[in-house]
Amino acid sequence: MNPYNRRVGVALVVALVVTLLSACGKGGDTAGGNVGGNPGRGASNELLIVGYDREPDTMNRYATHILEDIESCIVEGLVVADEHMGVVPLLASAVPTVENGGVVLRADGGMDVTWKLRPGVRWHDGVAHTSADVKFTVDAINKGDWKPESVDGFDRIASVDTPDSLTAVVHYREVYAPYRWQFVRGTLPRHKLAGRDLNTANDYNRAPLGTGPYRLAEWKTGEYILLERAPDYWRGDSLPHIRQILFKFLTNTTTRINQLKSGEVHMVALVPWDKVRELRDVAALRLNQVVGNGYEHVSLNQKRFAPFADVRVRQALSHAVDRELIVNTLLDSLVTIVNGPIQPLSPAYEPNVRRYAHDPAAARALLEAAGWKAGTDGVRVKDGTRLSFTLITQAGFAIRENVAQTLQQAFREVGAEAKVQLVDGTSISALWFNGNFDAMLHWWQQGADPEITLFFAGDRAPPAGRNINFLSDTALTALLYRSDRTVVESERNELLKTAQRRVADLAPEIPLYNTSKIDAIPKEMQGFTGNPTNAGPFWNVHAWRIAP
Amino acid sequence: MTQPRISQSRAALLAIAVLVAAAILAPFIAPYAADALDLANRRGAPSMAHPFGTDELGRDLLTRVLFGARVSLAIGLISALVSVLIGLCVGAIAGAAGGWIDELLMRATDAMLCIPRLPLLMMLAATVQPSVPMLVLLVGLVSWMETARAVRADVQSIRQRDYIAAARAVGASAPRIVARHVIPGVLPVVAVASTLAVGRGILLESALSFFGVGVQPPTPSWGNMLYQAQTTMTSEPWLAVFPGLMIFLTVLACNAIGDSVGRTRSR
Amino acid sequence: MMRLVGRRLVQAVPLLLVVSLLLFTVLHLVPGGPLSAYLENPNVRPEDIARLRVSMGLDRPLPVQYLSWLAAFVQGDWGYSYADGRPVMDRLVERVPASLELIGAAVVAALLAAVPAGVYAAVKPRVDRITGIAAVAGISLPVFWFALLLQLGFAGLLGWLPSSGRSGFGDRGLADRLSHLVLPATVLAAALASAWSRYLRRAMRETMGAPFIGAARARGVSERGLLWHHALFNALPVFTTVVLLDVSMLASGAVVTESIFAWPGVGSLFVDSLARRDYAVLMAFLMCGSVAVVTLTLVADALVLWLDPRTREAA
Repeated sequence: MNPYNRRVGVALVVALVVTLLSACGKGGDTAGGNVGGNPGRGASNELLIVGYDREPDTMNRYATHILEDIESCIVEGLVVADEHMGVVPLLASAVPTVENGGVVLRADGGMDVTWKLRPGVRWHDGVAHTSADVKFTVDAINKGDWKPESVDGFDRIASVDTPDSLTAVVHYREVYAPYRWQFVRGTLPRHKLAGRDLNTANDYNRAPLGTGPYRLAEWKTGEYILLERAPDYWRGDSLPHIRQILFKFLTNTTTRINQLKSGEVHMVALVPWDKVRELRDVAALRLNQVVGNGYEHVSLNQKRFAPFADVRVRQALSHAVDRELIVNTLLDSLVTIVNGPIQPLSPAYEPNVRRYAHDPAAARALLEAAGWKAGTDGVRVKDGTRLSFTLITQAGFAIRENVAQTLQQAFREVGAEAKVQLVDGTSISALWFNGNFDAMLHWWQQGADPEITLFFAGDRAPPAGRNINFLSDTALTALLYRSDRTVVESERNELLKTAQRRVADLAPEIPLYNTSKIDAIPKEMQGFTGNPTNAGPFWNVHAWRIAP
Repeated sequence: MTQPRISQSRAALLAIAVLVAAAILAPFIAPYAADALDLANRRGAPSMAHPFGTDELGRDLLTRVLFGARVSLAIGLISALVSVLIGLCVGAIAGAAGGWIDELLMRATDAMLCIPRLPLLMMLAATVQPSVPMLVLLVGLVSWMETARAVRADVQSIRQRDYIAAARAVGASAPRIVARHVIPGVLPVVAVASTLAVGRGILLESALSFFGVGVQPPTPSWGNMLYQAQTTMTSEPWLAVFPGLMIFLTVLACNAIGDSVGRTRSR
Repeated sequence: MMRLVGRRLVQAVPLLLVVSLLLFTVLHLVPGGPLSAYLENPNVRPEDIARLRVSMGLDRPLPVQYLSWLAAFVQGDWGYSYADGRPVMDRLVERVPASLELIGAAVVAALLAAVPAGVYAAVKPRVDRITGIAAVAGISLPVFWFALLLQLGFAGLLGWLPSSGRSGFGDRGLADRLSHLVLPATVLAAALASAWSRYLRRAMRETMGAPFIGAARARGVSERGLLWHHALFNALPVFTTVVLLDVSMLASGAVVTESIFAWPGVGSLFVDSLARRDYAVLMAFLMCGSVAVVTLTLVADALVLWLDPRTREAA
């Protein structure tokens, strides 16, 4: 064979080998490859596969920027919010209150909260969970360079005493009503993290040490996290029932729902409302719905778009929207209309607030009275200014895009022009954080505590808080701060109810609907309740089991 | 083999002409208004009243496809223009000047060709969050390299031609040579490059819009209609089929034209 | 010959420098630059941002920043991902095997389709007509549309194949892996096969008209032998470079395909990082993609030089 042909032959063989080798790939064989269990379609107590919408950035509950579903299976808080938004002791033996002496108001205006820890709880490495861990957590957050995402209230803590291994006394500088939720994210293990720089403690951030029903077995980046049952769980050896939980990262919603339908994943939490009808007929699934603790609404920035400073304009826009139509068509009646920031499930909820029914005639009358006359192109004008503003909302949410366009049409009917602008998720927080928007369609997802000072107090406009309406009402602000400093729950709720009535009269924003939470779970699963708060549906994962 | 080839390109030209006409006349021929919502008629399958069906908000899909054509075709055509103009300049200067100018320009061209085009465009679009005109510019800015290379090669070969030497011998000035010989000489290459660039531009825009970083809803474009249809693929497949079909047919026509122009050119 | 390869190697360096300069400029076009992710976090205070700006060296003049960025990059320090704080190199490298697997499978499939199609299209008019139409269709097809249609058809409606992912959990058998590979590889292979079959057809037609073929025919070599041994072998070197170049450019197509099929390779990493504005990852992806193109171009050139002595004289 001539040398030319030989070379071609060699080249071909090399190419073929290289291609085949790369096609075989390293196959992603892993240390945890011996995960057996039932590879078939159904869920079982051996393995539950969850389709999860994103890969966690870190497993550290204090540092993560997203929901803590996976983390909460491993790291438990001192308390947790149950399905009724009540506070339930978890690693604490009881919730301290004024009535049971756990909360003492000091003469100097501060307060002391005494946490009694549940005995017999051990970290997964066998070391006992003690009050030293509580103290360590507070010190780690308040001192030093570590500035994690979720530190509400910690800055009001002056110090922590630990008279014995199961008692932690937290000294607050001032009365802080949401004290119950202070340690909902749990504690950091002192014996593991003392003296370390928490920004770079990647061993903990990738595989946290916890006390919960599960521990991390494997984190295959880009693909999944596998949890396995932790031995010697303090609730008893028979719990949790399900031995392994696999969280598959499926960021694309369509992919996630398709895998749910085909049985490649068994469960998906927070199914988008526009996907629910696809799942109703799937025999293997049950759809669990709970009223959520969040609400979708349109924030009206009074500072940036001056016409919004007139309450009549805001009320007119509220009347312009046909919320029933939106809920019944775009949202398949899966959510309920609400009229304020505190949701029906909360003990502080006030149903008797002013409501703005769909009434375009009333809207037009209000705008006329406020001096906005109809212009030539259908958009109202006053002193040379057109009633034209930009309505922003997050891109990538089909429902939001649809609602925004429906709102646009509704506003047009009363003579206001809303230009819809979709902004991606990362940029939109910068916009509202700096108050750079006219109107925004979005939701707040709240914790179980009914505090709304952050959203409506006059001095909590960005960057000091989330009053992105830039509402400034002295009466309301005073009410809200008083409620923050009222530790007796019944009194606090009364103040909050008054506040809600005031908010409705002022109409700083247009509340639309409550964000109900729909989870798709295997039909045979028992013990699942869902959770309206950001505690997430995995709050009671230890109690789940797949009935045979 | 000439018969099928010519009729193929004629069909393609006709298709493009029809599309462009339909796009321009959209406000007049569309059965419904551009943004008419009809929440009572959501997700309707194709029917007599709505030949392409309706979408999530009850908007007529045929109407949206027609208005989307305006955006997608405009972006495709104008970005092609931009990219061909840039490519023509770069290629002509490089081919004519030679030497270090040629080296520099070709290095730049090669460098741009190395960078993965769609990811680069996606990153630019995601960060700049462009309006439609800006989008046209961005797409044009990443598509000129093929034209530049082709024009340069052509200019270089034209320079060697006998008739150029003859013209120079007769005393014709450089601009006159360029105008009378070089430009007509590169026109075929530019023509092919243009048609291919239109197809490429439409594909790039639709890819960007598909990932949510191109044309933003509610402004319709074929790409972002596909992006919105993604979530309802299994239950309302027509929402994905028709816009994608339009992209496919348009790009197919462009490529067919470019193909046959390239083939019938004598070399 | 080695001198020629050496010269090409030397030419590659300024090319990569220009690429790095272009990408660095793009990085700073971003509003907020590398700090943008922090600007959006309401809990990060202005003094923290100022501190970060200094520690990231953003207060130094741009040329200095460029040089230090370049130096770091060359040494393998690609920064840390905003998403999980891990080194970017780790995040990219661990996804490479999956992408290679997909690309390898697509190349194999495309070659299996394109080579016979291109070869026969060169000599049989009917095959030429069919493959011509198919090829033009193949390169006109929007990748994401094709992917969605396949997903809808084979996974959604027919249920024959899994809709996404690389493998079903717990079952890593070959059949399972292959079934996950089919759809995404088909999407990639379609575009490749279309381009390659057309190229091969053209190359084969030119070669079949060459004098040496006529001479071989006169010697009595069969038509089949002419086609497959003489003509194809002759066209192979340049065809290989075309293949290599197209593979190096697969970064774009892979991004779309991996994202739609949730294939855990570098392409889907890019799309996820895009949503989070994780610029360190995005930049590393673009740089590595460019380096891959330059490297494969070099390999392709060297291959042609080695295989086809005629080009050496011309070079």
